[in-house]
Amino acid sequence: MPKYQGWAGKILRVNLSSGSITTEDTVKYKEYIGGMGLGYKIMWDEVDENTKPFDEENIIVFGAGPLSGTGAPCTARTNITSLLPANPQNLIGDSHMGGHFSPEMKYAGYDAIVIEGKASRPVWLRIEDDKVSLESASRLWGQGIFDTTANISSMMGKEAQVAAIGQAGENQVPLSTIMTNGNHSAGGHGGIMGSKNLKAIGIIGTKSVKYAADKEDWIELNESVMSIIGANNQHVVPSTPQPWAEFHDASSRWTAQEGLYWGAADQEVETGICKPEDTNRIGYRTMKAIKDLGSISEDYTVRMGGCQSCPIRCHSSVKVPELEKYGVSPYVSNTCMGFWNHWYVNQNAKSDMDNFLNKTLGAQLADDYGLWFNYGQLGRDLKYLYDNGIFEEVLPEDEYDDIPWDLYEVGDPKFLVDFYRRLAFREGEISHISDGSAQIAERWDLGDDYWNYKTNKLWSRMGYPIHHANESNGQVGALINTIFNRDPMCHSHQNFLGSGLPTKLQKEIAAETWGSEDAIDVPANYTPMNRAKARFAKWSLVRNALHDSMTVCNWMFPMVTSPLKTRNYRGDTTIEAKYFSQATGMKVNEEELDEFGRRIMTLHRAMTVKQMGTVDMRNEHDRIVDWVFEMDPDKNAFEAGTIKMDREDMEKARTMLYEEFGWDPKTGAPTAETLDELGMTEVKEELASKNLLP
Amino acid sequence: MTKENEESKNFMQRPTTRREFIKKSVEGAAGAAVSFSILNMFTDSAHAQGIKTADGIVIVDPVKCTGCRRCETNCTAVNDGKAHPYISRVKVGQNYNFGKNGPSYNYKYGDGHLGDFTIVGETCRQCESARCMSACPMDAISVDEKTGARVIDKKKCVGCGRCAVACPYDIPTVDPETSKSTKCTLCEGKPTCAAGCPTGAIDFVPWKDVEMALIERENLIENN
Repeated sequence: MPKYQGWAGKILRVNLSSGSITTEDTVKYKEYIGGMGLGYKIMWDEVDENTKPFDEENIIVFGAGPLSGTGAPCTARTNITSLLPANPQNLIGDSHMGGHFSPEMKYAGYDAIVIEGKASRPVWLRIEDDKVSLESASRLWGQGIFDTTANISSMMGKEAQVAAIGQAGENQVPLSTIMTNGNHSAGGHGGIMGSKNLKAIGIIGTKSVKYAADKEDWIELNESVMSIIGANNQHVVPSTPQPWAEFHDASSRWTAQEGLYWGAADQEVETGICKPEDTNRIGYRTMKAIKDLGSISEDYTVRMGGCQSCPIRCHSSVKVPELEKYGVSPYVSNTCMGFWNHWYVNQNAKSDMDNFLNKTLGAQLADDYGLWFNYGQLGRDLKYLYDNGIFEEVLPEDEYDDIPWDLYEVGDPKFLVDFYRRLAFREGEISHISDGSAQIAERWDLGDDYWNYKTNKLWSRMGYPIHHANESNGQVGALINTIFNRDPMCHSHQNFLGSGLPTKLQKEIAAETWGSEDAIDVPANYTPMNRAKARFAKWSLVRNALHDSMTVCNWMFPMVTSPLKTRNYRGDTTIEAKYFSQATGMKVNEEELDEFGRRIMTLHRAMTVKQMGTVDMRNEHDRIVDWVFEMDPDKNAFEAGTIKMDREDMEKARTMLYEEFGWDPKTGAPTAETLDELGMTEVKEELASKNLLP
Repeated sequence: MTKENEESKNFMQRPTTRREFIKKSVEGAAGAAVSFSILNMFTDSAHAQGIKTADGIVIVDPVKCTGCRRCETNCTAVNDGKAHPYISRVKVGQNYNFGKNGPSYNYKYGDGHLGDFTIVGETCRQCESARCMSACPMDAISVDEKTGARVIDKKKCVGCGRCAVACPYDIPTVDPETSKSTKCTLCEGKPTCAAGCPTGAIDFVPWKDVEMALIERENLIENN
């Protein structure tokens, strides 16, 4: 019997240049858990800091974790780590997808799949338990993701789980996805697979994932999570007044209510009353379609869907017969930005129906081509460039005239059919809008106005937009948005802030969790930086790293709150440590596991320092663009009604966050002392040899 | 799945799981299994006389099922102490993407999440004259006196897989880690899969209502 359970125990390594297929023990990476942490460690050890994303020497790591596949609720995320083509300095980063892929990796016996080198011609990777082979993809190359998935499944067996790229990834579009189950996409790394001539990975696993705990304890822990789980984003109150509920909040994703149906189901399915205690109705709580697609979508909703193991069904699966006239299937499934990305055409839409069609058609086209939108930024970029007449200047005249701007002007969904083809196939100058915001700013000489125009929502000169930033508890969200090398896929703070509970109660819970009720402010009525906010920000990042390493969904965890009045709405922040202990047999408490998260975030920081060749993270990396400090000119920061930030206060905030992590308070770089404390001696030595310790 | 789709399913090479493919090769009657009538369980009476019927069976509603597969890992947690969808007695994952028949040229309109969103979860019918039972050369499958479930005696089972080949619904599965076959035991009358379903899509249907419930289920799958 192996020393640890939870982990499958093996990492699969495939070198596409040599064709070699080997395995290694996972145990040497256990201090980095799996997923994100394991990906960072492999990149740190094996990828030279001068490597470019599409170089043969780059590596891409598909990571599961010790929780993936165990059946614990919300544990089917796949974390993908590689260099980021859309980051102007090609710094390290992650993309993530849900679905059924990482559980299948585990059932086949692998905690991670590490892809090295570059194939001489298109291939796909076939994995059936221990039998692994590279197959010709000559007939798959050029196909969209849906057909690729179907073809691989017909070759392997219908039960195969497939991750694939579309034409966008093949053509090394920097903003492109890797996709599984037709609509679970990891944004940012599609082009890496394309550069390696790797079209897809298909997996069939027939093994088990084992947990160290007795099954009675394991089942009890699962049931305790099912009892405190909320709706999507761990919203714990319903969106409408309900007889059983003390509170409600219109912005909650707990939208189930009487009279609201999965309107296109073959039998009547009412979302109805979903009391917290009724665990057989958890899956109806989140009727996300009306949030993402408007009330018109109710009649088109076949059902909700989502990931393996997750009782929260956050993907809206709709049947839209009107889409057939655009040459695509009427069956569309996605969530959140998958639909919202196409908003920029909608601004001109003439009807609710055109609005609905833009979102659903956009999702269908983008998911098949494998296009990514940089958390909605691509659409804002297009609008800015069009509105300011920049396209007329930078596009060749015949290309500009060939683009159906008349359709764009009236919000006609047909615009997307034309535009997304240009992006996926890299047609013309306009296709460079998919290179990333920093790249187009340089290529098309966009200047300060582009970066500082508030409505563009850009956050960093590294070319990513806000993602629960200063609008999410001021400094806390702002700090979280400065640390990664892309938009932070961090919801630890956002889930709590959006729980829907009254501010007074939230403040009580914040005091219990981060030491002071000052950790949170009243929305858009901020106070200056304080220590509790720094603890909250650090904790949020640490949990994010844990979740993407274990893998646990950071859209549901951590569960600081619960829908249960009997618990006075308290959740349980010890669940992750309990799951880690029970799954692996490596006993840790909450604080000890958080140190794993700090180690992973510190390795991310160290890798960023190494790649950038500077310790000055404060001034070279963690910068925020000007609109955040200059918006609302008639208001000062910390006045009611604005989310404006103060420059001096943010410098103080940075210092406090660095201190919480044990990083150098001046530069924000990991110190020798902290690296030793976290057992990262080899990282310390390498940074020292490059003169990159503060 | 429409008739038109059904007829054109030969476009793709192997619209089955690997296990089903092997079985069909052995039987030399590919296709017979999938078209097996739901009513055969009542009329195929080779061994029927004098055997107690089950109290009921577990049925997955193809409209309410959202494919989270919590039933699979709950099943193996309770019965096997591990997470092992391959041997789960409720089988949802293998049909999740493309339905029971796998991808056809017209998969976008077929069953499954890459089709019309119909999730076809397969469960044990606890057949009155159970083919698994009659196929077992070790007499390892018998009727549980309490629930009437057809259950495997692990001490007698040698893992030959005859039961897996015999079952028209692909339920019995030899656990590759123990070399013992597994099948639905009805969890002593309180099926774990039904108790843990987040959309209440799994019902423990009393035996007297089973025939109608299965016909209704078949209609929902066919008519999509």
